Amino acid sequence: MKQTTKTKQGIPRLLEISGEKPSPFVASILLSTLGTLCQLVPFLAVYQVMAALLAHAATGAAIDTAAMLRWALVGLAGMASGYVLAYLSGMLAHTFAYRVICGVRLKVAAHIGRLPLGYVTNNAIGKIKQVLEADVEQIEAFLAHQLPDFVSTVVMLEGLFVIMFSQNVWLALACLLPIVVGFGCQLVVMLKILKSGGLKENFDALEKINASSIQYVQGMPSIKIFGQTVKSFRKFYDDIVSYRDFTTRMTEMIRPGYVCFRVFVLSVATFIVPVGLLLFLRQPADVAFVTTFLFFLILGPAAATPTLKLRSFSESMNVIGEGVRRVDAVLAEKPLPEPRAEGAHPQMQGRDIAFHNVSFAYEAEGRPVLDDVSFVAKQGEITALVGPSGAGKSTIAALISRFWDVTGGSIEIGGVDIRALPMEALMAEMSFVFQESVLFSDTIFNNIALGAPGASQAQVEAAAKAAQCHDFIRALPDGYQTRIGDGGVYLSGGEQQRLAIARAILKNAPILVLDEATAFADAENEHAMQQALAALIKDKTVIMIAHRLKTIAGAAQILVVNEGRICERGTHDALLKQQGLYASLWAASSDAASWTIGNAKEEEAQ
Amino acid sequence: MKQLLNAITIGEPKRLVKPVVWNALANLSHLLPFICLVAIVDEIYAYYLTGSLDIHGLWIRWGVMLACFGLSWLLENIACKLTYRDGFMASADGRIKLAEHIRKLPLGVLMGKQSGEIGNTMMNDFSRTESAMTHVLPQIISGALVAVLASVALIAADWRMGLAMFAGFPLALGIMLGMRGLERRLDRGLAAARVQQTAKLEEYLGGMRVIKAYHMQGDHFAKLQEACTVYRDACIRVERGVGPLNLLAAALLRSGLALMTLVGVFLVSGGSLAVPEFALFLLVGTRVFDPLAVAIMNYSELVMSGMAGERIEALMHTPEMDGSGEAPEDQEITFEHVRFGYGDKESVLWDVNARLAPGTMTALVGPSGSGKSTMLKLMARFYDPTAGRVCFGDVDARTIAPEKLMAQISVVFQDVYLFQDSVANNIRYGKADATQAEIENAARLANCYDFIMQLSDGFETMIGEGGSTLSGGEKQRIAIARAILKNAPVVLLDEATSSLDPENEAAIQEAIGRLVQGRTVVVIAHRLKTVRSADQILVLDQGQIVERGSHQSLLAQNGLYARLWHLQTESEGWRIQ
Repeated sequence: MKQTTKTKQGIPRLLEISGEKPSPFVASILLSTLGTLCQLVPFLAVYQVMAALLAHAATGAAIDTAAMLRWALVGLAGMASGYVLAYLSGMLAHTFAYRVICGVRLKVAAHIGRLPLGYVTNNAIGKIKQVLEADVEQIEAFLAHQLPDFVSTVVMLEGLFVIMFSQNVWLALACLLPIVVGFGCQLVVMLKILKSGGLKENFDALEKINASSIQYVQGMPSIKIFGQTVKSFRKFYDDIVSYRDFTTRMTEMIRPGYVCFRVFVLSVATFIVPVGLLLFLRQPADVAFVTTFLFFLILGPAAATPTLKLRSFSESMNVIGEGVRRVDAVLAEKPLPEPRAEGAHPQMQGRDIAFHNVSFAYEAEGRPVLDDVSFVAKQGEITALVGPSGAGKSTIAALISRFWDVTGGSIEIGGVDIRALPMEALMAEMSFVFQESVLFSDTIFNNIALGAPGASQAQVEAAAKAAQCHDFIRALPDGYQTRIGDGGVYLSGGEQQRLAIARAILKNAPILVLDEATAFADAENEHAMQQALAALIKDKTVIMIAHRLKTIAGAAQILVVNEGRICERGTHDALLKQQGLYASLWAASSDAASWTIGNAKEEEAQ
Repeated sequence: MKQLLNAITIGEPKRLVKPVVWNALANLSHLLPFICLVAIVDEIYAYYLTGSLDIHGLWIRWGVMLACFGLSWLLENIACKLTYRDGFMASADGRIKLAEHIRKLPLGVLMGKQSGEIGNTMMNDFSRTESAMTHVLPQIISGALVAVLASVALIAADWRMGLAMFAGFPLALGIMLGMRGLERRLDRGLAAARVQQTAKLEEYLGGMRVIKAYHMQGDHFAKLQEACTVYRDACIRVERGVGPLNLLAAALLRSGLALMTLVGVFLVSGGSLAVPEFALFLLVGTRVFDPLAVAIMNYSELVMSGMAGERIEALMHTPEMDGSGEAPEDQEITFEHVRFGYGDKESVLWDVNARLAPGTMTALVGPSGSGKSTMLKLMARFYDPTAGRVCFGDVDARTIAPEKLMAQISVVFQDVYLFQDSVANNIRYGKADATQAEIENAARLANCYDFIMQLSDGFETMIGEGGSTLSGGEKQRIAIARAILKNAPVVLLDEATSSLDPENEAAIQEAIGRLVQGRTVVVIAHRLKTVRSADQILVLDQGQIVERGSHQSLLAQNGLYARLWHLQTESEGWRIQ
């Protein structure tokens, strides 16, 4: 079973991912094929009428008006039913295509929900969105238009040529020749482009110009402040121009093949005529042959036109293949292994967090971010992580909540390896407040109630009061029912953080991870947030990251992290005595706190 | 229709003339051989009627067909070359023009939209109009042109047959035009559903951390699922609405052949139509609508491109910032009864009056949302005031050419944007012709020389995606180096709210100290301590200046400033437990 899922590619793989049954699609293709055949009926009718007229001229027999009329009506009916079939087929194909892409989207989204949280970083979100929106969208046009078109055209051509060859081999060959030559030209050019790496270059050029246009818009404040004109903003200008030159060059490469293809396919009659004339002149009296000749003259060009649609097919095929590959790349990311059995996992004894020789790197061969980190954060105590930015503090916090799994060593909570716990059980143990709080475009009430689904109004308000946000919520137009985000109110960074704290208070989990929880505080609300935090951390196992060292000076344990290792540990007083990194950070922060802008003159004077 | 033409060609329908003419000629050249074909069939038919055969004439007719083949080749080549090349040229020119235009817009306009939206217009909307302009539109127009020309000729040959052939054309045209309105209506609903889907997707991905922490996977996935399903159904609805009309138009266009056969049979059997003429209609008439019928399948693409073109037009027509005067020597900044609101929203500033003397430091303080940043942005002319005026010297900022004004101002904001370029070039933004020595000197003054030298390629290290990533503090120091290099007399500073690690913070403070020396400085301070030595402190609350003066005098007033000061001193000393 696993073997087959691995080997499937392109469209079959797409259907497999989406879980849609192919039957409506098959039906659509059948209908579309039938429809295309029906489109030929009017031409058949024309042929029949012409043949009747020829027979009349050659033999002098009376014109069979009734038969001709019948054929004319058959032609009309054929055309009409052709379009009805095309509509039915189109609707089936479109519905199917939209169902498939919706299925793929949800499948990928559900999969992402099972991946390590670390996977969904800001950088990855952009890529995933690209896959889920743009890449998946391309599949629609292909499934709904190109593939049915392709299949029905090919089937029709095959049928037509079988009939043609049964009528007259020479004329059939004359009809086939220009089509083959046309496709040949196309193929030669395609191969040339593939060999020159043009397709990859195309994607690269597009990516480059996309990136620089976004950069241009995002960097506009800087561009304006520094008075850059578009030309001196060289990169964007160059990218536009080089994209233009590249596309023009590509067109020049494609042009001979494209023109050759069009001209040959549209000139089928020009190839049939000399063969027909030669055969006709050998036996001018053969009316039957002339009728066949006529048949070819009418149907040949009629059959050639649809082949024009086939041109872009292989190109789209590549694009779709690429899209499916990208979707598969996301699906191939491994979810965090979790123990299956519910309730059967080992029970935690207390809520101490212990790191045993933990090492971690984001990529298998990559630079280690953490190296041999061991410590115990005791229940009911505060453990603070300090150190320069990039030292690994946030990574330690992220590993506790299993955003990633450690690459070496282990993390235990209450004596149980966190990998032995179902994600749900682990998450039930902890609350987080991060530097950037995530609020959903929903009411304030629901945003806080996330902490404890089913919470009552009174419970939510109590949490909000403890988090010092009750007052500002009350001042909003609809109080707790005010919507945030899209079309709702905008909250300041400090207000958002206090909501996140309220959420955590409501959840009341025994372990609390605070990563720069007061980062966005300003003069007025910092004090309020501090009180909120004080209420939250009572009796919990607290892991706290703070840049302002004063804040954490009272912690039971301070871990000083530098370059992925814990280089010092102890209480504030013990660490100051060591005269190490902590002491120098402390000195720097005391200076910073007393700094005033523009006092350089005074300093010099002193 | 004219509107659509204008939109797609971004206001220059003339651009279409060349592609349309050459495409029409190419299409006609594909039609010519069929006239010869008719002549051949006529000759053979005549042979059966009369018994004499002009063999030579038959081959000459084929010779003409062959010549047409060569002609087609030539014309297609020219058409292809012209239309594609012109399309690419046009969209490159358009992009550059738009980029230049965007630069002259008030920043407020740009910030009101999501940067993705403008980027989208710049790239995708141009690509769309490009493809509409290069192939869809020229093919449709030239196809219609050929159809009309040929129909006129055929009506002249026999009006009854001509009409039968042509009857569906105006109807098809009418449906297509009517469809435009329908499609626009449907597309609006679709766009709303698409936006919802994107929003839910973003929330799902961006909020994953919290979603997981609070067990909300099921709930949020259900919301996403609903948004996707709604979007899916909206797409299907559009297809259901537009699809039949699309096909009906195509069917009407193609109905000519069947109708013609019907009418022809009547006329021939009635004796009022000669067989050779009937053959002419059957052979040529079937081909007349070919180019148009193929092109029309792309009609919905055309409508979409029209909308893309309208978005481009809308952006192009957003008024640029005016002002062309020189910036005054005098660096005094005054606010006179300034009032300002973002867009249609409530005013953020109400009747603000202030005077910022040259060479002094003014601090803006107040609770979040009080209007501090807005004041700063008005000084940098990111926006113009709704009422009142902001003056430099005695000159209204609106009359000064934006570039000249900008030359007087350095800005260091908290969200530093660095370009995907080398470190040196990022600093060079401050002064385009700076020498390496000047750049290094600015870097030293901004306390970033040391960490830059530790990067893999020193000053030539690439920053941004695929390059080296810098910490927030390091980015800020590079921005300060840029400002030092620019050496403008006015410095606008927005102190970072998010805290940095102590070492970074000390380095930045030192760098700022060097930057502000001897200049007119306006600073937004979140920590009041940092600005207690300012010459003037403006205390804002709810869009108005409620107190002003020096630190000491404000404390003595015992008002909002004093309250904030005490609150902050209290929280400064806070420690857990």
